[in-house]
Amino acid sequence: MAVKELPVVPSARPGTMAAGAAMERIRERRPVFEKQKCNLCRECLFYCPDAALAVDQGEVRVDLRFCKGCGICAVECPVRAITMVPEYAGNRGFIEK
Amino acid sequence: MRLLLNGNEAAAHAARLARVEVLASYPITPAAPVMEKITQFIAEGSMKCNFVRVESDHSAMAAALGAAMAGARSFLITNSQGLAYMSEVLYHTSGLRQPVVMAVVNRALAAPHSRFPEHGDVVAQETCGWVQLFCENNQEVLDSLIQAFRLGEDEGVRLPVMVNYEGYIQSHTRETVDVPEQEAIDNFLPLVRRPVLDVNNPLAVNTVTGPELYMDYKYHQDAALQHAGEVLEEVSGAYARITGRDWGGAVSGYRLEDADIVLVAMGSLVSTARLAVDDLRAAGEKAGLLKIRLFRPFPAAAVRESLQAARAIIALDKNIVYGAGGALARELRAGLYGFPAAPVYSYILGLGGRDVGVEDLAGIYRQVSEQLGSGTAPAPYQWYGL
Amino acid sequence: MELIKTLAEVPEDELFTGGHGGCRGCGAALAVRQAMKVLGPRTIINIPASCMATIGGSGLTTAWKVPFYHSLFECAPAVASGIRAALDIQGIKDVNVVSWAGDAGTADIGFQSLTGAAERQENIIHVCYDNETYMNTGGQAGSVTPYQAITPDTPAGKPTPRKDMLAIMAAHHPPYLATASVAYPLDLMQKFQKAMAIQGFRYIHILAPCFRGWGIREDQTVQLARMAVECGLWQLYEEVDGRRRVTVVPERRIPVREYLRLQGRFKNMDEAAIQDLQDEVDRRFREVQS
Ligand SMILES: Cc1ncc(C[n+]2csc(CCOP(=O)(O)OP(=O)(O)O)c2C)c(N)n1
Ligand code: SF4
Ligand code: SF4
Ligand code: SF4
Ligand SMILES: [Mg+2]
Repeated sequence: MAVKELPVVPSARPGTMAAGAAMERIRERRPVFEKQKCNLCRECLFYCPDAALAVDQGEVRVDLRFCKGCGICAVECPVRAITMVPEYAGNRGFIEK
Repeated sequence: MRLLLNGNEAAAHAARLARVEVLASYPITPAAPVMEKITQFIAEGSMKCNFVRVESDHSAMAAALGAAMAGARSFLITNSQGLAYMSEVLYHTSGLRQPVVMAVVNRALAAPHSRFPEHGDVVAQETCGWVQLFCENNQEVLDSLIQAFRLGEDEGVRLPVMVNYEGYIQSHTRETVDVPEQEAIDNFLPLVRRPVLDVNNPLAVNTVTGPELYMDYKYHQDAALQHAGEVLEEVSGAYARITGRDWGGAVSGYRLEDADIVLVAMGSLVSTARLAVDDLRAAGEKAGLLKIRLFRPFPAAAVRESLQAARAIIALDKNIVYGAGGALARELRAGLYGFPAAPVYSYILGLGGRDVGVEDLAGIYRQVSEQLGSGTAPAPYQWYGL
Repeated sequence: MELIKTLAEVPEDELFTGGHGGCRGCGAALAVRQAMKVLGPRTIINIPASCMATIGGSGLTTAWKVPFYHSLFECAPAVASGIRAALDIQGIKDVNVVSWAGDAGTADIGFQSLTGAAERQENIIHVCYDNETYMNTGGQAGSVTPYQAITPDTPAGKPTPRKDMLAIMAAHHPPYLATASVAYPLDLMQKFQKAMAIQGFRYIHILAPCFRGWGIREDQTVQLARMAVECGLWQLYEEVDGRRRVTVVPERRIPVREYLRLQGRFKNMDEAAIQDLQDEVDRRFREVQS
């Protein structure tokens, strides 16, 4: 076994966590958007703790590498344009809390 | 320029000559005059340095570390309670490979309360990953501190350095000290900047590290500390070329050539032991002295080489590792493992400022000489001067 | 300085990216995300031991895009002081130097270095993200944990009230001091903008709920942060050179009971205790809003 080459100062390069993000491993639910209801107020973008939401070509999109499925966006959307749907088929209610 | 300086003043001049940029320090006796002197240098314009008047020793070390990480040459002072209080940050500083330099004006740790000299404070930090140098007089304080910056900042080292000298015995005693010219030191010690907290090159420092990386980081850190021992030889040589003063690298011998019994010491005891050796030699004894200048990394190879002809070794420890003995004796025994012909006699002495004179050391030598003659094996350690 | 007036004006760059290791619905991560939008890339941040120090970096990966140092628990403001001293001596200007700590790293073990830096009027911004417990070690109680809150080490409810950190920090006479909440991102971002435009020691205290510690659902983080403002327990204001201005007047006032009853940690609180708290909140509300 060889000793690993590492930075002299223990440190990490910027943005490297985003590159390896794979929240599908832990996500139980995902947000789905009703485009007709959304008024692009952007509130959901600023309430997402995981930087998973962005406005892209006139609509809100979720980056599923980042979304952990917390459901804050759905609770906070002032026009209820977001619903959380379970990630997994199978026995309903088994995964959902 | 030759000046009459005490150890603290010599340290302050070293900081000035090294063009220290950030001083973050918290007062503690008998080290505080160093920071007072530096702030005076700043006030009178002979030094361009930012003083961070922190509210504690822990914060002093933290601010010094922050300053180093942001690219500044950073210096501080402390001892005893202050050093113990900083302990956690000492480990961050070495683990993050920042070349902060600290003058440790050695003082006994309470309890019972004491403000007098011994090495217990620095010995308690022997595993913290800093280079640890000891000085025998005030000239060496100045010279070693300047060397410490070059050593710590060396590309292959990148580690913090403690320069130790004893409270009062050194900090408050004036001696003639040659203070080099600024230009000579500027050539010896060019400014090296390696900021790790830099908006133009953002890094996340000290991320949570799992078992797959932690040990490799520590391997590299230990290798760098070992390497510092080699670099010290180079740095001492280069310094000798500009000042004419060669403190040796890690160790240096005095009248060692044909010595039978060798005293081994660090710090102010070295100069006392030199006189004891001279007296003993005059009385026909084959006495010698080995000065340990570098305690971390411990120069085991150099010690073995210097002591290979000795018949007995006397370890003089101004510290007590409770339940284990003297730190220096322990290192010597480990380093000399396989030399059964050279037993190590371990003495604990001079704790909390108890005076140790030339006669004491000569007396210890005679004791050991008798025991050796009668074939008595050395005790694990013994207390002297109670 | 142009204050951001709508969310559409906020820069899109994420300086604390997705993919970080916080729990679902983490209020602490949300606070950082919102603030980093305005702090911008010329920011050096250090965060002492806490959830927020750990979730943004793992081994050789990080969610940070600005220089970040996971510092020791006691000393984030001291580290920031050293960084500022180093930048100043090198003539590096226009950098926000930020110490960002949890409630323990601010009000408890971190308080010594905080009061020191505040008294010295260091040119730094200290942010407390307050989840009212020691979440990184399992949610134990600290000095700003509310009265009667159940935590792992106060199983019958915390017997003493929450320490008033805002009053303590105001006593240091900082040129800028503010409260903020993750439920009011525009207000929070404007406060960072104002703080950045001022020199000297600036203090911003953000209420950032943690669903684990509070005994709520993970999608209620923002809702509870808002209700804390609506019930008057957490008032949003700023003080510039000691002059207070309320920045958010809740559109509707709700009883504290509504806020408390949603949280598992207050399940032991009886009606009499709730009424006492209501009286105290009303008194304090009048005091601040006047
Ligand atoms: C000197 C020291 N003591 C204790 C700890 C353990 N510790 C780490 S984080 C933490 C609690 C942090 O609480 P807070 O500042 O409120 O941040 P939070 O985790 O709640 O976000 C404790 C007790 C430590 N890391 N260092
Ligand atoms: S569910 Fe949570 S993580 Fe996913 S987009 Fe909504 S707020 Fe963000
Ligand atoms: S909060 Fe709702 S309405 Fe506003 S942008 Fe998001 S989805 Fe659209
Ligand atoms: S425990 Fe709370 S504060 Fe910590 S990461 Fe999880 S949600 Fe965030
Ligand atoms: Mg907390």
